[in-house]
Order: sequence, then C-alpha cells, then structure tokens
Amino acid sequence: MGLFADKYPDVAYQEKERLWEQVKADPRYPSYLYGCYECGICVAACPSARFYDFSPRKIAQAAAREDIDLIYEQMNDDVWNCSQCFSCNRCPRQNSPGGVITILREVAVKNGLKSAKQALEGYSRIIYKIMGTGTQVSPDMLQPDAFPDWGPQVREVSADLELWRRALPPETLHTTSTGWQVDDKTIIELYLIWHNTGVMDMIAEVDEGLHMILNDVMEEKLEEAGYEV
Amino acid sequence: MTATATAEVIPYNAVNTKSSRKFERQAEYAPEDFHDHLFELEAEGEWIVQRVPEPYVEVMTKFGRKKKIPLEMTWHHKSCGQCGHIPGYSTAIFWLNRKLDLKYTDPTDQTSCTAWNYYASATSNAAAQAGVAMRNFAAAYETGYYPLIHCGTSYGHYKEVREEMMHHAEVRHQVRDVMKKLGKPLVMPEEIVHYSEWIHAVRDRIAAKQKRDFSNLAVTVHPACHYYKLVQEDAIYDPDIYGGQRTATVSALIVALGAEVRDYSTWFDCCGFGFRHILVQRDFTRSFATRRKIEVMKEEANPDVVITHDTGCVTTLDKSQFVGQAHGLNVGVPVMSDAQFAALAMGAHPYRVCQLHWHSTDYKPLLEKMGIDHEAAWAEFQEDLKKLKSGEKEYLTWEDVG
Amino acid sequence: MSSDTILIIGGGPAGLEAARLIGDLGQRAVVVEKRDALGGTPIYEHYAALTHNFRDAEEAMNELIAAAKANPTVDIRLSSEVVSCSGAAGDFRVKLAKSGNPAAGANGGAGVAGEEINAGAIIVATGFQHFDPGRETQMYGYYEYDDVITLADAERMLKENKFVTPSKGTPPQRVCFIQCVGSRDRQIGNEYCSKVCCGISSKQAIEIRQQVPDCKVFIFYIDMRMYGYWENEIYWPAQEKYRVQYVKGIITEIIRKGDRLVVRGEDTTMGRPMEVPMDVVVLAVGMEPSRGTKDVAKILGLKQNKYNFIEVPHGGLDPTATSVPGIFVAGAAAGPKDLDDTMAMAGAAAMKAAALTRKLQISNFKFQNSNFKTQTPA
Repeated sequence: MGLFADKYPDVAYQEKERLWEQVKADPRYPSYLYGCYECGICVAACPSARFYDFSPRKIAQAAAREDIDLIYEQMNDDVWNCSQCFSCNRCPRQNSPGGVITILREVAVKNGLKSAKQALEGYSRIIYKIMGTGTQVSPDMLQPDAFPDWGPQVREVSADLELWRRALPPETLHTTSTGWQVDDKTIIELYLIWHNTGVMDMIAEVDEGLHMILNDVMEEKLEEAGYEV
Repeated sequence: MTATATAEVIPYNAVNTKSSRKFERQAEYAPEDFHDHLFELEAEGEWIVQRVPEPYVEVMTKFGRKKKIPLEMTWHHKSCGQCGHIPGYSTAIFWLNRKLDLKYTDPTDQTSCTAWNYYASATSNAAAQAGVAMRNFAAAYETGYYPLIHCGTSYGHYKEVREEMMHHAEVRHQVRDVMKKLGKPLVMPEEIVHYSEWIHAVRDRIAAKQKRDFSNLAVTVHPACHYYKLVQEDAIYDPDIYGGQRTATVSALIVALGAEVRDYSTWFDCCGFGFRHILVQRDFTRSFATRRKIEVMKEEANPDVVITHDTGCVTTLDKSQFVGQAHGLNVGVPVMSDAQFAALAMGAHPYRVCQLHWHSTDYKPLLEKMGIDHEAAWAEFQEDLKKLKSGEKEYLTWEDVG
Repeated sequence: MSSDTILIIGGGPAGLEAARLIGDLGQRAVVVEKRDALGGTPIYEHYAALTHNFRDAEEAMNELIAAAKANPTVDIRLSSEVVSCSGAAGDFRVKLAKSGNPAAGANGGAGVAGEEINAGAIIVATGFQHFDPGRETQMYGYYEYDDVITLADAERMLKENKFVTPSKGTPPQRVCFIQCVGSRDRQIGNEYCSKVCCGISSKQAIEIRQQVPDCKVFIFYIDMRMYGYWENEIYWPAQEKYRVQYVKGIITEIIRKGDRLVVRGEDTTMGRPMEVPMDVVVLAVGMEPSRGTKDVAKILGLKQNKYNFIEVPHGGLDPTATSVPGIFVAGAAAGPKDLDDTMAMAGAAAMKAAALTRKLQISNFKFQNSNFKTQTPA
C-alpha cells in the first residue's frame, strides 16, 4: 500500500507489481537507480520540469521506495513528458532518472498499456519509416501540413524536393524517401535484428495495424533474400 | 604527417570569464579507463576492438584521459536528421574532409542508430539497439575505415551501448548471437568519435585555410546534451576553454576562426528537442527553444549566429523561431553547425556546400557580415538548378561546388 | 633495543596535542612538519573561528603550539618530511629530509637533512585537504567566477573581518552556501559525508550576518547534519537569531547574469525549480586525504581505504590503530573528523604509543612475526 490515494484502483495491485518486476529485471536498472536523498539536482537540470508538472526526482523516489501504485501512475501519466536529454545524469548518487524512464516506457509499450498506445498515436508513420527503411528521417517528411509551425520555408523545400536533393554533392544524398541511400542487404540485416530481439512483438502490442504493414514489407524482402521468418 | 600531431595550442583563457584561478586536473583523480575492460574482453575472445588508425590527434577529455581522434580513413556514420532535413550539415563535413585532403568513405551499408525513435517511443529494447549499433560497427570494420559519428544522439547512444555491452554479458551474448545470424563479427571501436571532435582536432588546419574574416562575428554556442551529458567522461574538455569546466568542442573552433564566443546564462539547458516532443508535442519544444534559449541569447549576448554540433539542436533552435517571431518574441538568430561555420570560413559556397536554403531563420545578414554576396551566390545556385531541371546535368557534383 | 622516542608526523592540531601529551608523560616526542610553521590547516588556511565554540582559531592554535614548544622532551623538525621507514614496533628507523614542499620556506630543513630517527612508535597526524571544486560535477564555476569561493576562502575574509564580494570589493547583499561539494557524491568517488561542513557553513553564515548585518544568507542543503550540541549552539541560533535561510535542495549551476551570479536548483520542499541572484556563493567543500597523508601511508606501508584515507582496521573500538603495529593515526588522516574527534584521537594515540613503547622496554619483547614488519619503499 502506497502513501497516497491510488489513482488507478481498477488495476489490480498484482498487475502493477508484475510490471514493476519487469522494470527491475532490466539489466540496466541497477545502474540507473541506487538510492535518492532528494537533493533536487535532477529537477533543476530538467527541461520538462519547467514546462510540465513533471519531476525526475519523484520518479527516482517512487522507484527507490518501490511504491507500486505511484510507479504505475507515473508509468501512465508522467513518463511521456520526459525529453530524454539526460541532463539528470548529473545526479550525485549516479542515478539516471531518464534511464529509469526509458525502461518504464519500454515496459509500458511491451505490455500494450492504453496510455502508451495513446502516446504513440500519430507516431506510427515515424516508426514505420525507421523500422522499414533504416533511416528515421526522410526528406519527404518535410510537408507543410506536418510542420505548419515551421513557416513557409517547409513549403519551399517540399515544392522542389527532388530537384533540391539532386543539388547535393554527396552521392548518397539524392534520395527523397530515405535520409540517404541504404543498401538492400543492409535493410535485410536490420529486419533480422528487429525479428531476433523481440521488437516486432513490442510493435504488435501497441499497434496491430502497423505491425501488419511492417510484417508484410519485411516478409517479402526477407523471403527474397532467402530468410524464413 | 606525424603519427600524433598535437592540435594548435590556444592561449590560456581563450574562452573564459573573469576568473583569476586556474584549474589543473590531476591524473590521480581520473576514474578508471574503460579501455582496460575493453581490451580484456578482446583478449578473452569476446569481441574485436577496432583500433583508431594513424594518424590521430590526442585530445583531453573531462577527467584527464587522452582520447585518440582519427584524422582520416574515416567511415562516416551519417545522421538521419542531418541528411533528411538539413543536408548542408553532412555535406559540409564531407567538404571539409575533401578540402583538408583527408581520406574518408560515405557508406551505403549504414542504417540510422534508431535511437531517436527509441528515446521518443520506446518501441525497441536494449538488445535491439545494441544490435543496430554493432551491425554498423561491423560494417565499418569490414571496409577498413574507422567510424566517425555525425549525430550527437548516435554518439551518446553508442557510448551507452558500449557500457551495456561491456558490463552485461547477457546483452553482449544476445547481440553476438544476432550478429552471427547476420554473418558479422562483434566489433567495438577503440574510441567512439563524434565528427565535432574531429573538427576540434583539425581546427588549426581549418584555421590555416581560412579565407573569410570572422573577427567581427559574435557567436553563442549550444553544447549538445547527448554529446557531453551521456557518458560525460568521454567528452573533450580543455583547460583553455572556460577553465576546463565546460566542453571545449565547438567553442575552441570558434576561437580558432577568430570569432568571439559570447556566454549566456542558459548554456547548459537542452534545446527542447525532446525526441518525441519535436514530432508530436512541439508546444514544449517551441517554448523551450525560444524562451529558454534564443531569447536569453539575444538578450544577454546578441549573437550573429548560434553554433551547435548536433542534428536535433540545429533543427529545433532554427525551426522553432518562426512562431516565436510571429508572436513578437525577441528571436531571429540564424542557427548552423560547426561544420557549416568552418566550411564558410574556408570559403565554401553558402548554397552549393552549406545548403543554407534548407534553414529557416534569416541567415542573410550573417552572410553579409561574413562578406558573402548572397544574392550572387543564390543566382549561381539557381543556374545549377536550371541545369539539373533541364537534364543538362543529373546531379550537382563535388567538382561543381569547388 | 627498543626506543622510547615517539615520532609524530604532522604539526597540526592532532600532532601538537599528541606531542604535548607525550611530553607531559616525560617521554621524547619528535614532531616532523612539512611546512615551515606549526598549526596545520587552521593556520595555513587562515581559519577565523573554530567550529563549534567560535574561539579565535589563531589564538587557540597558538596555545597548542606554545604547549608543544615549551615541553622539554618535545623536538620539532620544521620543513622536514619522512622519506623512508624500516624496522618494526619498538625499533622503527625513519629517515628525514628537507621537505620539497614550496611552503617549506627559507629557514626550512635546517640541520635535519639525512637525519635518522629511531622511534619505538609512530603517530600519523597528516590531516586532510579541501576538495578542489574544479573536479565537481555540478556547474559551480569556481574557475570561472571569482565571486564563487570555498569555505576556506571565506574563512580568510572572515578572519580579516572583511567579507566582501571579491570582484567588487564591496560588502555583499546576498550570500549563499552550497553544501556537500565533493562529498556524498558517487560521480566524484567521495561517497562519504565530510561531517563538519554543515557546521562550518552555519558558523560562517552567523559570522557573515554579524559582520555584514544587511546581508541575506542562504544555505542550500541535502541534509543538515548538526549532531549533538551543534544543533543548539549553531543551527538553531543561525535560524532563530541570525535568520539564515535554510533551503532543502542543491544548486546545479552557478551562472552569471550581468555583473551578478545566479544560482539554479530545486527547492525540494516547495517542489519547484528556482533561480536566485547572489553576490557571493560559498562552496562547502569537503575533506580529502592530504598529499602528506597519501605519501606517508605509502612510505610507512599503511593500508588505505578506497578514498585513500588511512585505514583503521578495528573501526570505532580502536580508532587510532592502523594496519601496522606500532603505528597509530590521529585526526583527519583517518577520514573526515571534526576538531573534537581529532583532539580525542590525539590523546588516545599518544596514550597507546606511550604504553606500547614502555611495555616493549620493560619486557624487551620483540615482534617476531614478519607480518608486523613495515616495508621500506624501493
């Protein structure tokens, strides 16, 4: 029983405990959290703490206390506000609240938490890009409707994109749908990494549609190359 | 060329505030060098350590360890954000290598590090991330060239991967098995090197070939979080830059080029990129980039340009200013990388090489201060585009850009 | 033949007190001091008032020095250092040389070059040095801003009754202390608490409020460690009488805005980030083993703990015994110590050393076990 009113009373304590055990089982966890004496250094260094109701110190405290209810609440409500800049790595105890958050997010995704699905809404296009093409950012992502707040310059880029790409001296940069030219063999190796490290299962948990599309693309290429998935 | 050239010595207090004290780091307080463990694992047959090729320059890191920075035979691990959205960044890095006659390769057997997605969405895990890193390292090793990492996020992330691979045998063995399926060896570079460290190492050579006078330029520097906050002991520090208390990368280059580095109070703050925020929560990004960074720089330092050394920082600080300007904030400072700044100093074309038309905040007053006729330069570039459009030329080539 | 001479290395509070007591027992003590003057860190670093009783540090140290000097069986070797040691308890052979320390001064080392002392026991009282804030992980800019000072720098100004903003030379309006600089920090490798900094900062805060009554004084802390009488003698008066403001939360950065410093941190009790202008920031730097402690430990073959202080194998039940029989330790050479502990240890070490030499002389007993031999460095 935690010290505060439980914000998610409908979720069984055992379920929250199960998720917490997964966090602790990550091999990185012991070097991401030692103990916390609440000096506040992480908060002072944190950009997200200035913008949101967010505190890396509270993440570290909840984890150090193993307050299962509070951790579950943070796993749903707080972790997606972190900007993962790791300014908090300055912790004199050598904790990494940002690193704890990386693991909390990973567990949330792996277990298909509703909040994780919501956080990733509108994001599947990007996951598709990185997992499917091997480069996360492509020139054709620069569309005015995607970045209305970046001003008219985005329109200029997108209007003459293909031409502007051909005006780049490095031979690998003439692409528009990938950041640079990536070999087919390289892509296939990347797919094999996704398949062999459980990433495809994580995608299935948070976005079934995306999982299906990715699987189709990958299967075809892998089969062509003589791999069975 | 000697095997270990020493970079040009900048006079003490080159970039400093007003302190009368001088800090000297003592070797006895240096933490354990990770190389002991790295080479032990190699001796045990766990992996191959790719050695930094000669010639290299030795630079000082945060706690006094010397780090080898290769000068040539570099395998350019490109950045997706640079290549995709600010391609003058990558182009300038290559251009500098060519102008300094340093041999490199620009591989197509390279993927993103995928860390941007990982830090944004967590739709991956430690083993997969290490797998991606080790695939790229193995690809570099197979060519005989040495990885030079263009992106700060990749650089920081790969250093974390190195820590995990060194200290967690289960992760190492899982990744080794995946590499086996790919038919690749497990390779860890002796040093993980960021391109801005390479620029730092060759800054004297860049300065020696400087064609434009930058002595009237005021510059603010944004040090990239993932460059020096992740695995901090691996970043370059120099007693001559801020008394050895802040990373010397970027600032030392600006000094070498004769421009003035101006300090501002939020130098330690992140740019606001946030990985997921720049994509799906840009209210945070815009607010942070303009209110905590650009406005503060404007008010306290009034710079001609912001120079930084990572993909996300250039994008965030540059693109976020548009809305700020519309709302009447005190913004409007052009942003570019150290590579583009160095290339301009060495006489690079602002559009053909530095590709500044991909940048958003008005850089034309800066070009004027640099003595560049930007209208003429733009006209030249338009001529290039005409030729490309008509099919007279397929691509703009290195020979075309000078 | 065993010697009844006791060699004391270090002429600070612990060494002087041990020498005086050994002299009072009528036994010969030789004090070896690297610097050209006695008094140790309180004199060398120009301490103002002692913590916790606010006595004038120079006056208090002069009494100790006078007591040691006046004692007919106490010999003092200034500007000298130990360069080698052989033998075992009862019969140590210790070579001295003129010290290479810059603080040795012109009159240094006179008549001691090559001297060998035959000592029955040794007391190591080589003390600590202040943490160098250049190694701090947080951005405190000690090497960037002159208005960032350490506790030692503050002592010097307070001693002269001239506490000013260094860059301007005028009395400050706002001063803050940052606690635990170089202590309780895994990043730096000093996980221990330095014990005295909370008390010294609070003492200095009171002195600043006495000397510059209009100045506001803040202390940013993680935990205030004001044990025993430090609570009622320092902490409460600082809060209640002198209105020193204590804020739980540590500063991450000191930056400059205009001609003033700004400190950034989190006020953890209020749960929000803060940015506060300051004229002077005092870094409460912790204790580390002095150069002398590290060197002497090597020369005498004493085990050191992971922080390079001299290891005390039996802990609190035998706080002055080292890993080598016949060699004792007193004061901060064995880890962070306040003055009360230092003086008590000096007494205990003097007692143990004297008792051992007497016992050895009476029984003419010699240690046979080779483990008890000390090593002579190559």
